[in-house]
Amino acid sequence: MGLGATVGADLLAVPFPKMILSMAQAISKGQMALDMASLQTLKVLANTKFDFIPEFTEVLTPKPLPPVSIGGGQTVTPTGVNVDFTKSPAVKLTMIQAGILPTFYQFTESIIEVKMSISSKVESQSEFEFGASLEVSADFLFGSATFSSHVNYKTSNTYSYSAEGSSLLRTTLKPTPPPGRMMPKFITVNALVQPPVITTSE
Amino acid sequence: MNVQMYMISVKGTLTEDTSREIQRFVRKCGGLILMSTQTGPLVALSDEQAAVVANHSLVGFMGPVHLNPRGLAAGHLQQIFAENLSKQLIIEDRGDGEPAS
Repeated sequence: MGLGATVGADLLAVPFPKMILSMAQAISKGQMALDMASLQTLKVLANTKFDFIPEFTEVLTPKPLPPVSIGGGQTVTPTGVNVDFTKSPAVKLTMIQAGILPTFYQFTESIIEVKMSISSKVESQSEFEFGASLEVSADFLFGSATFSSHVNYKTSNTYSYSAEGSSLLRTTLKPTPPPGRMMPKFITVNALVQPPVITTSE
Repeated sequence: MNVQMYMISVKGTLTEDTSREIQRFVRKCGGLILMSTQTGPLVALSDEQAAVVANHSLVGFMGPVHLNPRGLAAGHLQQIFAENLSKQLIIEDRGDGEPAS
């Protein structure tokens, strides 16, 4: 199997389907836990009462004050005012009615990023060495010759392979409007007027 | 640093002492008390500190909330929040940490 094939096989071995499944399951579990927490908050808010005083009334009536001399025989009559302050009886509202709502969250975007670095190296080295020597000597009666030779052959193969990988899972969580079916509707029937006026709000 | 509003519900019955204890802890964590309710305080906290407060022994439940401007008493609640915040900011300058009433 060639090196290219090995690298390709390694890339194919990255468990993408498993990673995506695991991430989707984690998001699903996380979303459920967040929704449950928001519903629990909704219950707490629905059971928490708040004293709301809808109206404060100030009635201003004239209160004449004695004239004040400003010199030169002239007088000025200050305008006095009486302030009667009354407040309407407190109305018990739940925190939801008053205007505090639970925050719901939603996973909006998820990214799986896998980085792989694969390197492979093959080194092949051969050395060939040949040597020969010839020695000839001669004297008065004899002659001699020696011949020697050597052959050296050296070969080496080195093979190195390394693969490094890292993965990043990133998900974005954003606040979202509460699901319509989970939030109560407020229905106000105003029987002060005829026919009564019905107002629905969320 | 993201700051959010959280509704805190105390464990068991709320007493003045438990409410004050939680409020002090929230202030210690850098949070602000927006309002005190019969269930527990409504606070503004950073995301980092929210988990710390949620793990406090007196905290039964803590959930993120927001103000609906169309609520019947939204304006009134905003006034209460502003009043309580102004008290805490003045106290912060003095270096003292009294909980909101």
